[in-house]
Amino acid sequence: MQIMIVDDDPTSRTILQAVLEKWGFETMLASDGEEAWNLMQQENSPRLLLVDWMMPGIDGPTLCRKIREEMSRESFYILMLTARDSRKDLIMGLESGADDYIGKPWDNEELKARLNVGRRILQLQNESSRRQRLQGVLEMAGAVCHELNQPLQVVSGYTEMLMTEVKEDDPIRESLEKILEGVEKMGNLTSKLMQITDYQTRGYLDGKLSIIDINKSAKE
Amino acid sequence: MNVVNKKILAVDDEPAIRTMMKLLQRQAGWQVDTAASAEEALEMVSHENYDVYFLDLNLPGIDGIELCRRIKAIKPDAVAYAVTGYASNLHKQECLNAGFTDYFTKPVKLSELVKAARQVD
Repeated sequence: MQIMIVDDDPTSRTILQAVLEKWGFETMLASDGEEAWNLMQQENSPRLLLVDWMMPGIDGPTLCRKIREEMSRESFYILMLTARDSRKDLIMGLESGADDYIGKPWDNEELKARLNVGRRILQLQNESSRRQRLQGVLEMAGAVCHELNQPLQVVSGYTEMLMTEVKEDDPIRESLEKILEGVEKMGNLTSKLMQITDYQTRGYLDGKLSIIDINKSAKE
Repeated sequence: MNVVNKKILAVDDEPAIRTMMKLLQRQAGWQVDTAASAEEALEMVSHENYDVYFLDLNLPGIDGIELCRRIKAIKPDAVAYAVTGYASNLHKQECLNAGFTDYFTKPVKLSELVKAARQVD
């Protein structure tokens, strides 16, 4: 899992980076709140953040508030690093939007355990939103199959009937065959929709949009 | 072709599909009756012996699966095919449990239905 380390102190950043990478995290570094905020606007930026409280410019609590206010639809887990240990400060930190905190200087084992809590929560959220999306897709697929297969049956059945009434060399026959080919393609598509078991998307229109990849999402 | 005068009952709530099934009468030389609901079908089954049943699963009121169970209860030898617009794997198993011989997913070729009916002695 990717994690963003936000700390203005280069030594802390380096130490944290080394330790976290040893534990299997991929790290992204930001030297202050503003840089972190800018990095977070990029696609696939980390969801797990380790944020120092005291930083010039946008400090830890301000960054948390900004994330919770302006990116409220996305899930992040923020662990705040702080030398402050008064109850009032800790409450303020949590209320600004941090999920947890750890005191400076930190204990490595405790840091690891707290980050693992964040990792677990993010994985659960991820899994739950994936299931919800899949459920939505399945309901939509069911409705599409149900509503579309009925008229497709009408088109295909009546075309088949017409075919029996035109002679082998009648040019209309070719047109009727084309209609049946089209219906067959649509039928194959709706049948794939009925086999969807996964949520997979693909880029569309040069990646400007994302659409369900029916082939990948459907079970073979 | 050996024309066996089969009696078919097709149940579908879509009028265009009922008309289409009626047209099979002319094509295959069978007697094809149609019903728009399970209730109507059960009434017909009570005083007519059909050789083959084509049942849509999604019907208003009693659904196609329950209809199949009821037909099989009265006529255990009845051969019924499910013709459905949407069939999940769960549905398919339920169809077989209800007594359907097989199921077809719409759009199905009429020639497939004719073939299935021909296999019935």
